[in-house]
Amino acid sequence: MINTDKIRSDFKIFDGKKVPVYLDSACMSLKPNSVIEAMNGYYYEFPACTNRSPHKLGQKATKKVEEARKNIAKFINANNEKEIIFTRNTTEGINLLVNSFPFEKGDIVLITDKEHNSNLVPWLRLKEKVGIILKIIKGNDDGTFNLENFKKEVLGAKFVSIVHTSNLDGVTNPAKEIIEIAHQNGALVHLDCAQSIAHQKIDVKKLDADFIAFSGHKMMGPTGTGVFYGKQKLLEKLSPFMVGGDTVLSSTYESYEMLEIPEKFEAGLQDYAGIIGLGEAVKYLGKLDYKDIEEHELKLNKYITEELQKFPQIKIIGSADPSLRSGVVNFYIENTDMHKFAIMLDEIAGIAVRSGQHCVHSWFHSKKIYNSLRVSFYVYNTMEEAEVFINSLTKIFKIL
Amino acid sequence: MPCIVALIVFGIMGIFSASQRALAKEALDCVFKRVTFRPCNTGFAEKVKGKLIGKVLKRSTFLAKLLNKYYEVFSWIFFILMVGSTIWVLRGGYNFYVYGSCNGLNSSGFCAFDPSGSNNKVTPLGDSETCGTVQKTEKTVTLKNVDLSSFPTKNVGGKDTVVFIGCYACDYSRKAYPDILKLVKNKNANYIFAHYPAKGEVTNSLANAGYCINKDYKEKFWDWNSYLFTTDKNYILDPANLNTMLTKFSFDVQKINECVNSIETKDAVEAEVKELNKTNIYGTPTIFINSKAFVGPKPYRVYRSAINRFIFF
Ligand SMILES: Cc1ncc(COP(=O)(O)O)c(C=O)c1O
Repeated sequence: MINTDKIRSDFKIFDGKKVPVYLDSACMSLKPNSVIEAMNGYYYEFPACTNRSPHKLGQKATKKVEEARKNIAKFINANNEKEIIFTRNTTEGINLLVNSFPFEKGDIVLITDKEHNSNLVPWLRLKEKVGIILKIIKGNDDGTFNLENFKKEVLGAKFVSIVHTSNLDGVTNPAKEIIEIAHQNGALVHLDCAQSIAHQKIDVKKLDADFIAFSGHKMMGPTGTGVFYGKQKLLEKLSPFMVGGDTVLSSTYESYEMLEIPEKFEAGLQDYAGIIGLGEAVKYLGKLDYKDIEEHELKLNKYITEELQKFPQIKIIGSADPSLRSGVVNFYIENTDMHKFAIMLDEIAGIAVRSGQHCVHSWFHSKKIYNSLRVSFYVYNTMEEAEVFINSLTKIFKIL
Repeated sequence: MPCIVALIVFGIMGIFSASQRALAKEALDCVFKRVTFRPCNTGFAEKVKGKLIGKVLKRSTFLAKLLNKYYEVFSWIFFILMVGSTIWVLRGGYNFYVYGSCNGLNSSGFCAFDPSGSNNKVTPLGDSETCGTVQKTEKTVTLKNVDLSSFPTKNVGGKDTVVFIGCYACDYSRKAYPDILKLVKNKNANYIFAHYPAKGEVTNSLANAGYCINKDYKEKFWDWNSYLFTTDKNYILDPANLNTMLTKFSFDVQKINECVNSIETKDAVEAEVKELNKTNIYGTPTIFINSKAFVGPKPYRVYRSAINRFIFF
């Protein structure tokens, strides 16, 4: 069971007098003190270049960065740490894939109808530039994945890139089955794990995922950090789209010799402090049991869902079943701009929630919904906070 | 409407704070409808409305409901108040620049730019029996039908006329004096100086001395006058020092003393004071610039603006 008191004591933000009711973890998770301290450790004690440095400071920095890489590899059960490429975020990971994989005109790529712009726009660009055929797999009305549709569309597809857990409704797609079916049909699969990585155990081996991308900032890590994973043999075939310092072994005026993976994908000096912080975040998460996280989130999700269902005008996006929606409750009221609710909630009780289209504009446009208000929580959120949210929302309904 | 109100509010606040400046820019975009359909960004008007209603809701559900229902009406009221108070503030600023007081020429009401009211302070005359001047409102202070021909005059024929009615013993006259001298010099104005013995006997004798010096030593009078306005007040007011001062200027001490004590001088000075009282003067310094009265020591720019054709030049 999650002991929220204990967890909250690891976060300085909960120390102060004006503690926010932070319900926007799907956008950005809070960071435990240990992550911040690890980053400060780099800046205070060994703020040096890695790899090429002959000095002790540089060696220490190299050791810490490589430790982080190993920790992350272990965390997602990668074959080895070479399969871990550091990026700035999920978006960069997906762009790396889109621009490095040898896509050709006419290649069929499948995505779902609920993709974040980061797993939609790069493919649309590729469609414009290379002439791939982009197909959208329509989901069920309750936001769950439609395997039948997928089975039909995957025939002849070269690549499948789908969101694992949707930031729109928190629904998790059946990645294992999808990957299995895709592989049977000769297609490779990339999973956008931006959301799922913090809420469920990701085991790339068990899933047999070819590529995955995720961001550090949604999993208690620093902003500006991310990971792109790929199976070693696949990564070796990719041709990096960003090259320069740190990606080559040597160069002459006429030619260059690329480094091996992962270095060949990490152009220029990296965010070492961030990477070390991310390694620390992974350590922190490693101490928690994902079963407990899921159980805790379900408890909060169930309460909020049940309370929201008492307001007839409220429509929850995705499944009515909270157990399918991870740490997300996203809702809207027809013909209503939800921004004002978010602003008032913040004003009344310092509640941080998100309103808008959550970078899934395509879905909102197709459904003709103006925008929605998303509540998303994590291990540090308490039942009291869920109650404050519901009480404040009730207050707002009284005056509107 | 809420955008216009916000633009004005944040526009003014933006003068002082950069963060408000950003909001003012947002408000400007809002006014010109530059923010179109952007469901991922909070509309500016909605943001302000939500924040306001949220703040009220924290205290009272009833008031929040009212504000939500009549938000447009409240916006209009606020807008009108804003425009009103903006005009009022601008007027105050203009008045302060041109007259040295937010409330208009010689008005001594509270002015935020001059909280101590120093630009309107005068040495009152009413409390002195010898002067016998009754406090008048500034509007009645005038040069109409006042004969100033007996007072010391220079730059005769100048385009502008400056009349300075001051008293050697009064701090406020002493404060205004150098500015008036500067004004007369810079603008080559016709300048008439009238000493008003605001502080009774002690100042009477200096008034008499001035009268006599102007009669016999016209050219040197102005140096004498400046000397009295700029030398320690206690020293010049002590009758025992009069002769020393006269000697300093190489005046005929005996002759001047005789003149000072003569009945004729007393009558003449009394007549002058009577003439000055016709201006309805109620305190020194009172300065007339081209017949417009300035009561109290104003900043130099006020005097200058009174002569300039376009306020600033
Ligand atoms: C499902 C999903 N994919 C991709 C992203 C993009 O992540 P980032 O902005 O860190 O690149 C997000 C961020 O919200 C997300 O929720």
